[in-house]
Amino acid sequence: MKNNFDQYTAISDQNSPTEEGTDFEVSISGLTKCFGDILAVNHMSLDVPAGCIFGLLGPNGAGKSTTIRLLCTLLTPTEGTALVGGYDIIESPVSVREITGVLPEEGNHTLYQTMSVYENLEYFARLYGVAEGEIPQRIEELLSFMSLWERKDDRAGELSTGNRQRLALCRALLHRPRVLLLDEPTSALDPVAAKRVRELILRLAREYNQTFFINSHNLPEVQRMCDRIAIINDGNILMTGTTAELRAKLHAKQIFRLRTSEDVARVSSIVESMAFIEYVRSDVDSLILTIENPQENNSILLQTLLSQNIKIIELAEEETTLEDLYLEVIKGGVDK
Amino acid sequence: MTLRKSMIVARADLRMALQVSYVKYGLIGMSALGPIMILVIVSFVAFGTTSAVEALALLSLLSPTISPVLGVISIIPASLIAANALVGEKEQNTIEALLCTPLTDSELLIGKVLSSFIPSMALLLGTIAVTEVGSIVIFLSAGLPFSVNFLVPDVAGLFLLLSAGPTMILAISSVMILISGRVARVYEAYQVSGVSIMVFILPIIVPLLVMQSGGIPDANLVWLSDIATLLIASVLMTITWILAIGRFNRDRLVSLV
Ligand SMILES: Nc1ncnc2c1ncn2[C@@H]1O[C@H](COP(=O)(O)OP(=O)(O)OP(=O)(O)O)[C@@H](O)[C@H]1O
Ligand SMILES: [Mg+2]
Repeated sequence: MKNNFDQYTAISDQNSPTEEGTDFEVSISGLTKCFGDILAVNHMSLDVPAGCIFGLLGPNGAGKSTTIRLLCTLLTPTEGTALVGGYDIIESPVSVREITGVLPEEGNHTLYQTMSVYENLEYFARLYGVAEGEIPQRIEELLSFMSLWERKDDRAGELSTGNRQRLALCRALLHRPRVLLLDEPTSALDPVAAKRVRELILRLAREYNQTFFINSHNLPEVQRMCDRIAIINDGNILMTGTTAELRAKLHAKQIFRLRTSEDVARVSSIVESMAFIEYVRSDVDSLILTIENPQENNSILLQTLLSQNIKIIELAEEETTLEDLYLEVIKGGVDK
Repeated sequence: MTLRKSMIVARADLRMALQVSYVKYGLIGMSALGPIMILVIVSFVAFGTTSAVEALALLSLLSPTISPVLGVISIIPASLIAANALVGEKEQNTIEALLCTPLTDSELLIGKVLSSFIPSMALLLGTIAVTEVGSIVIFLSAGLPFSVNFLVPDVAGLFLLLSAGPTMILAISSVMILISGRVARVYEAYQVSGVSIMVFILPIIVPLLVMQSGGIPDANLVWLSDIATLLIASVLMTITWILAIGRFNRDRLVSLV
């Protein structure tokens, strides 16, 4: 497998800089989109600095894809607006499209099935105004990086889902856009490919200051990769912050894993009745709990369980994950 | 706005249209069918009659119908490609990626119009040329003299095909743009484009009606129905194009119907 990672060259300087007065590469203010009665995005405001990897999280139907479609000018906002690279999405949609690369939702379905892998990229390179002489080299670079170079002459429709997704990612990166709007970029990728894409995103953000706005359901991935995160539901931002801020929030509550050889349902019925315990969820052989004042209450918990003849394998502090925070935010348990 | 970007779209569309086998063979079949049909009729006229006068008389009966038929046949391919151009992209989901590129609305629409206009004009002109040359060869080999009166299509027919033909091709493209926000499937678009072609039926029907009522369609009547067809096609093209431009809406193209 040829690795052209090191050859992935800089973002082009053909793009004019962000307007004065805005330090943010993506700046959303009061953005709203209604579909009839459905309020898909509700007065959303948030800022993403240049070079940032931003993760937008939320349950199905939360309004993530609609947000990306508004930012890439596919949809017109009902109210509010956004600046992308300093350009207003309503006033200068063409300039916005010039400096953004987009991986649409289900990007693997947005390729020209009857065109070859190479032709798909060539077509878009031309539409994005990449210099004719530079096109072959850029295509080879990206296809090699995504391990698709050997398949360049195959029809896009003949590729597997994941490979089509890789191709769609290549297409988004082809013109070296300043801002990348990626809707679930790794959803169809195998673990190795997903890791490579994550590494590429990190590298492009760090070295070439490209800005990433990513929708994802893959929380561990977002936790590892994103600098800033927002969680939305029903079109509303529930929480937003940098990864550091989130980490602080995560440490505010301690989560424990209680592993047992007994029936989990039975144990949970006992545990739930205790005032200092907030039951979070159950796993195959364990309960995940938050315990108030664990220094004192852990022993009470253990004594109670032992007195009822429940065999405990382990009671250990869990590393709190973004998933835990996410689940709490969605349930309404964490302050904004 | 640059025509260059529109040409990129048109070229890609055309290449893709030719990769769809029913479009490709539809194009080849349709464009071969017209000249073949007409040249068979011409041979019948040339070899089935005994004198130039008789041949001309028969020809003057057939000519008014020949050109509109040729017109309909060479415009069908345009409607196939035009239907694929926007609605096909919508059906295939590729429209979303295309709309994310820096194409302006007019670059996109002109690209989509060119993608059916260029091949359709090529087919129309090719069909006319083959029929014209073919019929001259047939008449000459039947020993008939060469004259303007032996042209198939005749002068009125050439006028119809070269004026109303391109106009209808453009009209069908704008009809397709107009309905692209409203239909989700290419076959629905085919149906609409099929209806638009009906405009070309007018110059076929008028002379036939006259013949049916016992009369012989004279040159004035033929010209009149040809000009009427051109007028209708022009009005149709203007209205649909204005509506298509005015109502074009990216929102609607990406939303589910
Ligand atoms: N074109 C449309 N027409 C009507 N309603 C729409 C349209 N697009 C989105 N919606 C609605 O807007 C809301 C937000 O949808 P959106 O696709 O943005 O959610 P999402 O967060 O991306 O969800 P998922 O995680 O499932 O991809 C949903 O209620 C959806 O039904
Ligand atoms: Mg989505």
